[in-house]
Amino acid sequence: MLLRETVIQAITSLTVNKLRSWLTIMGVAVGVFSIIAVMTALDAIDKSVESGLTSLGANTFQIQKDPAMVFGSGHSRNFYANRKEITYKQALLFRKYMEGRVRNIGFIIVRPANLAKYANRTTNPDVAMTGGDENFAASNGFAIAAGRNLSENDIRTARNSAVIGSELAETLFPSGENPLNKFIKVNGEVYTVAGVFVKKGAAFGQSQDNFVLIPITRFLQHINENSSLSITVEALSRKEYQQTIDRAIGAMRLARGLTIKDVNDFEIRTNESLIDSFRDIKIAISTGAFIISFMALLTAGVGIMNIMLVSVTERTREIGIRKSIGAPRTTILRQFLFEALFLSIAGGLIGVLVGVSAGNILALKFNLPPIFPILWITVSMVVCSAIGMAFGLFPAWKAANLNPVEALRPK
Amino acid sequence: MQSLCKFYEMGDQVVKALDSIDLDFGLNDYAAIMGPSGSGKSTLMNIIGCLDTPTSGIYELNGQQVAEMDDDELARIRNREIGFVFQTFNLLPRLNCLRNVELPLIYAGVSPEEREARAREALQRVGLGDRITHKPAELSGGQIQRVAIARALINKPSIILADEPTGNLDTATSHEIMKIFGELSEAGNTIILITHEEDIARYTRRIIRLRDGKIESDKPQ
Ligand SMILES: Nc1ncnc2c1ncn2[C@@H]1O[C@H](COP(=O)(O)OP(=O)(O)O)[C@@H](O)[C@H]1O
Ligand SMILES: [Mg+2]
Repeated sequence: MLLRETVIQAITSLTVNKLRSWLTIMGVAVGVFSIIAVMTALDAIDKSVESGLTSLGANTFQIQKDPAMVFGSGHSRNFYANRKEITYKQALLFRKYMEGRVRNIGFIIVRPANLAKYANRTTNPDVAMTGGDENFAASNGFAIAAGRNLSENDIRTARNSAVIGSELAETLFPSGENPLNKFIKVNGEVYTVAGVFVKKGAAFGQSQDNFVLIPITRFLQHINENSSLSITVEALSRKEYQQTIDRAIGAMRLARGLTIKDVNDFEIRTNESLIDSFRDIKIAISTGAFIISFMALLTAGVGIMNIMLVSVTERTREIGIRKSIGAPRTTILRQFLFEALFLSIAGGLIGVLVGVSAGNILALKFNLPPIFPILWITVSMVVCSAIGMAFGLFPAWKAANLNPVEALRPK
Repeated sequence: MQSLCKFYEMGDQVVKALDSIDLDFGLNDYAAIMGPSGSGKSTLMNIIGCLDTPTSGIYELNGQQVAEMDDDELARIRNREIGFVFQTFNLLPRLNCLRNVELPLIYAGVSPEEREARAREALQRVGLGDRITHKPAELSGGQIQRVAIARALINKPSIILADEPTGNLDTATSHEIMKIFGELSEAGNTIILITHEEDIARYTRRIIRLRDGKIESDKPQ
């Protein structure tokens, strides 16, 4: 029999019991939705993380007290919490030891969530304050849009100069007002705007342009002298990258005064290590979403089987009639299998549609670019079809093998 | 068919629904199978119609051995060689007359255009050319049975089998239906029908009487 007839028959039968068909379809849709939504959001985050990280510069790595993300028990958390701060003095020593072996070494301290003011305008308390030196811009991929960068002189004299990110500039100086040489207040302290950075865009779902850069020396003197520094190192070339990391570990141990039997009390962060640790989180979330979706789809599959078995029982007579006028087993089998497949594929499509929308709405909320996770959509649709097949097969087989004499016997 | 038997095991008891039946039907035969309830009429018809296979014995249809066929071969035979008319009509309630009548042609792989043309023609033959888009529920019992006859005719079967085709109809309608069967017989069709009403059987040219699974008599009239 023609495929077209089978499809028409399947759809006709399903429309007879619309509510029942819809409920079954929704069961499948929920399972697919959860996996697609999570995967869409994760893919969106993933994309932005990788682009955000690589924008740090390919030959760059960072030295910090703590790892980017800590997993595990309180024990391992305490292990990191007991580490001593990386002081400005140690950082200067480190720079001296590495002199001439690297292209660039920058120091920064970041303090999140500050309030900035200019005239009668106030920002949300979400402005990052970064203490850095004249190398900060170069090693973090920031160019100057207007004014100037921090100078060596600013650092030496711990002057109250500031270079501000483009987003902060727009908030405090809207409609094209010139920010240069204006006095802004950050947490009550007054700074002179020396320059504005070029816009960089979002990474990790966060703006990278909502910050103020002040001389690191001023940060340590006026804000927190016990802050732990983050050191950004740019190797001379890609070829010398690993060698530079090894040398930096030696220099840092020396600067921190470690003895041979001490383990490193600092972390090296590379683009790769950050991406790796993000991947760990991603795998954990994916696994969770997978298990939940799998259970949901399994339940939906049992639902399909249940509905199809009821349908076979209800339509025993129809099956008997079809067989008596010459429908072969394979045709009956195909007809019922198609109904099961139709239910599962329709559910899958709805799940994909709603899931992709929800994932993208979530991504939009976090300022991430929109995404269409082809791989996951394909996987979901394949899994849905497989579930429709697997759980539809038994009822269809039952229908196909009904004895026509029994099926036609009046009840 | 020769020494055809059909046994049903009920627990430790064996019901001999058909017991050594020998029968021959020729081309353009018009026969009635009669007998009291439980005598094996329906069982015999199911075997002739290839809905069921005998426990033992030989059944040859147009030179083909039916007893050894598998389900799908039987389905093919039913589709090409047999046209059923049932006491309870057995139309699909959700399909209109045209769709019901063309159903056997779908399984025979006939193109939609040809199916529709042939279904219209068959409905015309049973006098329902103006009811093709009606659903069974919108028709009277006699009209429904005529749709069923049109469906049985559509694939030009070797045998038309009717199990008590007038059992659910009033006398006047019954005679109308029998007139159609008479016309079909005159047109050359082979027809076997089951009935327990003598005046229905009188329309046929041969009466076979069954009792307890055995042939009691087989007479032309
Ligand atoms: N599926 C079955 N299982 C057991 N016994 C059956 C079955 N079908 C028919 N029979 C028995 O076979 C005998 C003949 O039945 P049937 O052919 O239906 O008679 P009729 O149509 O003449 O009334 C009856 O005794 C009936 O009880
Ligand atoms: Mg009977």
